[in-house]
Amino acid sequence: MYLNNSILSPSLFRMAGAKCLLSFIEVDMLAYTVKRLFTLIPTLLSASILVFLFVHLIPGDPAAILLGDTATPEEVAQLSAEMGFDRPLATQYFLWLGNVLQGDLGISIFFREPVLSVIASGAETSILLASMTMVWIILFGLPIGVLSATKHGTWVDQVTSSGAMLAASVPTFWLGLYLIMIFSVTLGWFPSSGFPSLSDDGGIANLRYLLLPSLTLAAPNAALIVRLVRASMLDVAREDHVRTARAKGLHPVRVTIKHVFRNALIAVAAAFGFTFAALISEAVVTETVFSLPGIGRLVVQSILRRDYPVIQGVILVIVVLYMVVNLLVDLAYARLDPRVSLK
Amino acid sequence: MNAFNFLRNAFAGRKLATAGFVWLCLIVVAAIVAPLIAPFDPLEIDPVGRLAEPGWPNLFGTDHFGRDTFSRAIYGARMTVIIGVGSVIVALFCGGLIGMLSAYFTRLGHFLMRGIDVLMAFPALLMALVLITLLERSVFNTVLVIGIVYATTTARILFGMTLKLKGEVFVDAAVCSGAGHSSILFRHILPNLLSPLLVQASFIFAFAQLQAAALDFLGLGLPPEVPSWGNMLSEERIYITRAPWLLLYPGMLIVVSVFSMNLVGDALRDSIDPRFKDDIAGV
Repeated sequence: MYLNNSILSPSLFRMAGAKCLLSFIEVDMLAYTVKRLFTLIPTLLSASILVFLFVHLIPGDPAAILLGDTATPEEVAQLSAEMGFDRPLATQYFLWLGNVLQGDLGISIFFREPVLSVIASGAETSILLASMTMVWIILFGLPIGVLSATKHGTWVDQVTSSGAMLAASVPTFWLGLYLIMIFSVTLGWFPSSGFPSLSDDGGIANLRYLLLPSLTLAAPNAALIVRLVRASMLDVAREDHVRTARAKGLHPVRVTIKHVFRNALIAVAAAFGFTFAALISEAVVTETVFSLPGIGRLVVQSILRRDYPVIQGVILVIVVLYMVVNLLVDLAYARLDPRVSLK
Repeated sequence: MNAFNFLRNAFAGRKLATAGFVWLCLIVVAAIVAPLIAPFDPLEIDPVGRLAEPGWPNLFGTDHFGRDTFSRAIYGARMTVIIGVGSVIVALFCGGLIGMLSAYFTRLGHFLMRGIDVLMAFPALLMALVLITLLERSVFNTVLVIGIVYATTTARILFGMTLKLKGEVFVDAAVCSGAGHSSILFRHILPNLLSPLLVQASFIFAFAQLQAAALDFLGLGLPPEVPSWGNMLSEERIYITRAPWLLLYPGMLIVVSVFSMNLVGDALRDSIDPRFKDDIAGV
């Protein structure tokens, strides 16, 4: 028959339709991306003003604060002239912003090195730690959350949800100290502190230094994911399309995986983005417990050393990172969930 | 809503949450009558009897100064209550006011909520660290810093809730009957926000404990001489292999208290107005 002609087969029709729809979405998506980028700029600028003001809120001459106690009056006068500390605050801000945009975040008082390279030296540890932590969060958080939701109302659900809440109630440093005592001191299985770079001796095996820290950091965050997966799966399970899927006799496992879990994953995927960005700063405590040379410990040590240029630089880098990740999450969210309005 | 009935409904059939509530009541009682029930002075140093094992008369043993850990733990309950209640007051007052006013006065809200957005770009612990850098270590400043950190989320949440309430018929009725702005905000809208505020308060109380303990541990929280559970952990951590009990008791106290507060918060959340269920943060 004419309709059975391969050119007009229903699947091809559907494909052509989908393609049209896709290009519509992409035009919308592009407009949405541009719009979001524009809203990001004022927020970034406001945040940068706060970061800039940070040094000025500390009592004392900002040039002397930025150079530390050992600076000579000549050095202070020179920096004052360079940064224009005698000029209006707005002028100073634009001078500072100009430097920042060129990658010049100042000089560390303690290391006597550019702040950017001090931060870069901690980046490897921080990024590896956050990545490894994400692996644990996904490995533990997702399956336990799914289990908790599918066994909703049973003792399995009660144990897993309460267990997750308990895990979220544990101070990370306390957990870390006991993990060190059990697995490093008593059993001697893992190193207790430090992290040599992957490019040092040992190569990829050096990741074992990050095993205990990443587990410590993962515990409360995986607990949050468990609760989020459970809550969003229960939300989706109440929707009409799930009832339809059940009514047409689909296997319960298939309903759970294809209709409930996949939809619930949209909210969870967004949470993963936020968690990853938050991990860089949340790692402050964990990095201190395990003496890891990451950005988090750098913040604490710089605060204790009164190394203000480094504190300022790290805050700026983390805040920009956090905002960019937020933007990417929003864009991914709009892409994953066609119900999100792009207007 | 009657407060007693609200609590009874929230905890009905929830044994774990009820146990948590009882535990928190015990903490509050211990905090109030600490001088009466603590067997020793929490600051008294005894160089001879340092690092004693748990037993009699030192139930939880002694620390590296020979101070009685049990008495310090009881006085630590005071700090737990002060930090929790103080941060909740700061967060709910500042955040609540900003959120409510922003939702009610749209033009002001546009401006204020952008500011909140900017502050929320700073991760919680990082913001606490930055503020602490500018201030001295003291109980008041710790409370202030933690309160400010949670004021941002509270403002966001209350903004949403007030917006929802603003569209309700009873607000229109109040406007028609000639009620002024402050009367509408505080006599008509605020009473409807009390139960969600209570839920929010319980989660802030729990988070504040963990934040305060983390700050203590980093040496940036309460002054070192103040007996708090976080300071006890921070000071005794180098003795973890010689005297593991020194870290066990304060740590367990923090875990049980935060867990209890989370359970209570969960129970309260499940019983509040369904309109606000999606708005409340929490574990």
